[in-house]
Amino acid sequence: LVLGLAASSARAQQLLVPMDDQQQNHLKAYGLTFAALKAGMKAEWLLNYRGGSFLLPDTPELRRRAGLDGITMEPVGVGEVNSIRAEIANSNMDAIPLEKAPRVAVYTPPDAPPWDDAVTLALKYAGIEYTPIYDDEVEKGDLSKYDWLHLHHEDFTGQLNKFHLGYRDASWFVDLVQKNASTARRLGFTNIPALKKSVAEKIRLFVERGGFLFAMCGATETLELAMAGNSVDLAGAFADGSPMDENADAKMDWKRSLAFQNAHLEQSPFVNSMSDIDGHQVNVPGRRQPLGAFTLFNFSAKFDPVNAMLVQNHRSVIPDFFGVTTSFTKALLKPGDSILAFEEGAPWVKYVHGDYGKGTWTYYGGHDPEDPQHAIGNPPTDLSLHKGSPGYRLILNNVLFPAAKKKPLKT
Amino acid sequence: MRSSRKRLDVGSLTLDVALVAVVACLLQTSNVKLQAQSAPFQRDSAAFYRAMDLEGAGKYREAGAEFRRALFTSTSVSSLLGLERVYAELKITDSLLVPLDSLIRAYPKEPVYRSVQLRSLQSLGREPDQRQAFEKWVVDAPKDPAPYREYSRQLLQQGQAIRADSILARARIQLGGTGDLQLEVAQSRAALGQWEESAKSWRLALINAPYLEQAAAYSLAPAPLQLRDPIRAQFFAPPLLVAARRTLATLESTWGSPANGWVALRDLPPDSASANAWLDFAQRAEAEERWTHAREALSAVLKYKNTPDIALRAAVAALNSGDPGGALSLAPLTGGGADSARVARTLLPVHIRALAALGRPATAERLVTSYERWLTPTARATLARSIAFGWVRIGDMGRARTALTVAGPDADSSDAAGWLALYAGDLVTARRLLRTGGDASPELALALGAVARVKGDSSLELGQAFLKLARADTAGAASALVECAEKLPDVASLLIYTAGQLRAAQRNDAQAIPLYQRVVEQYAMSAEAPTAELEWARALQRRGDSASAVQRLEHLILSYPQSALVPQARRDLELVRQAIP
Repeated sequence: LVLGLAASSARAQQLLVPMDDQQQNHLKAYGLTFAALKAGMKAEWLLNYRGGSFLLPDTPELRRRAGLDGITMEPVGVGEVNSIRAEIANSNMDAIPLEKAPRVAVYTPPDAPPWDDAVTLALKYAGIEYTPIYDDEVEKGDLSKYDWLHLHHEDFTGQLNKFHLGYRDASWFVDLVQKNASTARRLGFTNIPALKKSVAEKIRLFVERGGFLFAMCGATETLELAMAGNSVDLAGAFADGSPMDENADAKMDWKRSLAFQNAHLEQSPFVNSMSDIDGHQVNVPGRRQPLGAFTLFNFSAKFDPVNAMLVQNHRSVIPDFFGVTTSFTKALLKPGDSILAFEEGAPWVKYVHGDYGKGTWTYYGGHDPEDPQHAIGNPPTDLSLHKGSPGYRLILNNVLFPAAKKKPLKT
Repeated sequence: MRSSRKRLDVGSLTLDVALVAVVACLLQTSNVKLQAQSAPFQRDSAAFYRAMDLEGAGKYREAGAEFRRALFTSTSVSSLLGLERVYAELKITDSLLVPLDSLIRAYPKEPVYRSVQLRSLQSLGREPDQRQAFEKWVVDAPKDPAPYREYSRQLLQQGQAIRADSILARARIQLGGTGDLQLEVAQSRAALGQWEESAKSWRLALINAPYLEQAAAYSLAPAPLQLRDPIRAQFFAPPLLVAARRTLATLESTWGSPANGWVALRDLPPDSASANAWLDFAQRAEAEERWTHAREALSAVLKYKNTPDIALRAAVAALNSGDPGGALSLAPLTGGGADSARVARTLLPVHIRALAALGRPATAERLVTSYERWLTPTARATLARSIAFGWVRIGDMGRARTALTVAGPDADSSDAAGWLALYAGDLVTARRLLRTGGDASPELALALGAVARVKGDSSLELGQAFLKLARADTAGAASALVECAEKLPDVASLLIYTAGQLRAAQRNDAQAIPLYQRVVEQYAMSAEAPTAELEWARALQRRGDSASAVQRLEHLILSYPQSALVPQARRDLELVRQAIP
């Protein structure tokens, strides 16, 4: 075993970055792999091999970065690589070539600090470059410049997460309303819900044309509602001046959505919930469900490599965490959806994935895997204290997954 | 994510605390009423106690049956609350509604039954029914603030501050004011971000309920920086209210400024309530080693209540804050009526340390002599060390030496004697005696490290450098250590690094940086090199040169991968690169 730069001066053929419990910094390991791809190097993702390890070229640059970041790596020669490949060939494992660093965009308000969102926290910490974009850029058509898009915890129904219920006069909320309303006006929309529906539609087209979409927390549920309810008044009077359409449920067109169907909208403007998509309903005291733990599904690496990539981890059971949308009601998933993580015996699932048009989408419920009860005003999560966070690994799996070279299925 | 906070940020802890108080009051009044109206009730409380035992044993179903049996006895209110608990455990809160209806029909003005009804409907998610129940309660008790209090409180717990606000506005109209609802008004204002209004309401609430001080501080703590002055103004406004000032002092400490906390308390009139506030503040300050604040607060207490214990604490705080003169006047040896033996044990050591710090070792010696017969040999040796340092401070090494010798073998073989040997350049004696030092001060660690690494038996230059340090001549000590490094190559890296630290302590990074650089470049293999490089990076960062700081941190991590400082360097690197908050 060789740790860091100094232990071996002679260059091996390749560097194995183990992702099991030997790894000292799992999250930075993704950044290292991303950096290798960004520099034009080839890498391999060894699915199910020691927690989903990476095989990288042995270069001074990568050794240096691994040393600086405290990433465990093991220089391996041809013989050792052959031995690893033999083990992979005879087990539920596979080696997936990673070819090109995806161009990453994060849909986030321009003034949002990176600590406000789990994905930007993870990207910042891992050292993965991303471009923040928001309504102006989406409306301008900039989504086509990117391979991978993450959605900050936005409310695409335009109701600003119904914050008015508790924060009507709070200065930050007043500011939020003003900024969004001003953007809507500037871009030619009558109100915030109209703007957000338009953005949701462009995101749908982004996926349809081959984009990779990743969303967490409330963005998952509200994006679905905004897509299916594109021509329905989904918002309460506080958001657009008119109450929600009484027949909104019946008018929803679920063919337009990515993941869910037949959900029921929350009609009351006074209930802090959007629909029955979320299984936990954290902000509705009478409906709130307690947190448990979720289990990652064990996919066949050889026959189902995409799903297998998304669940690579050194833990298979992970403590759950709340978000505006914490989980997804299983009964509302579309037939083709893949369940990546579920809670044993619960009517909800945590982590789902599917194809849409030429692209894919992945939804991960909850807000911050290392802050299960996150609340406004809480200090941001310091990932240097959670270097091996299994919950955050799932986010970073998604960032690397678009780099994988497509292999024909063996079925 | 913001909205999950909605159920938390209205100060649920505060509300819980207040709720306990309110429920306790309600229980008392209810029991009185029930005793007076006990005709339809049976006086049997056996079922209630059986239910409590069963609940304690986790047998909720059986406990529920017993609580129900006890509902129409003299323990009705307590039984209902028990039933509420066990039904919640069994997830059958809806079963509570029928017996509640019966109880409310029989006693429509009993607030506990109504409160439980509202709570149950809330937990069942039946918000329209909850609202209806509240309206019925208002009709049944039109002049009672209880329905408004309970319903607004529950709305606040749900994060529905605006609805709570409208209920309180109704109360204002219906009851002719919200005098009985100040706590709820304050909470709702805080939840809405109306900080000044909230502070105003809290102040009113604190007049009759000073125990809400912590609740008020908790509620107002999230106020943004730019909106804190109006809060301060509310709590400072006349007439002076001790509970309001205490709240502000707690808030200021929470906001990171204990000094402002003391400002909130310092002009209180000297009475028992103020003295308690000062003592609480002093206790926190002592625990956090904020000696100046502790001295101020304890001095204030002394004006109202002068006891030997408080005087001693004030003197110690003064001494530790660098005010030895203050220590002497705050705890005079003749005050307090204490006997000589007690004075020798408690006040005398403080006075001797103060006199030594003031450069008056001769006075200290005379004082020790006058209390000689009450001193044990160990105490005598301790005082001799203090006196010796007093002589060192005024430059009389001979008298310092004598002070230890005459105090007996304990003092003469102490670490104090080791220090004197070091100042005289006698490294052999210093090595032997400094090891006996009981304290773990950085100075002792430095001295031990230095004398252990020097190969020779004597070095007057090294002694002089440490002597300057003892006399608080920081700049002189730094220069002397650097000069000394030329002559003592074995320990040069340690001495130069220490000189760098002394310069940095004087906020003189411009002079500290070249010293750290010298250690890293000339003594790269020394034990001090990684730590000097870390300090170098931090000094660069303090000067705003992040790019150079990154270079140093990267160099440290890659050059000394086995160093125990690498995790710290990595964390510094993350912070400089803004990769973590």
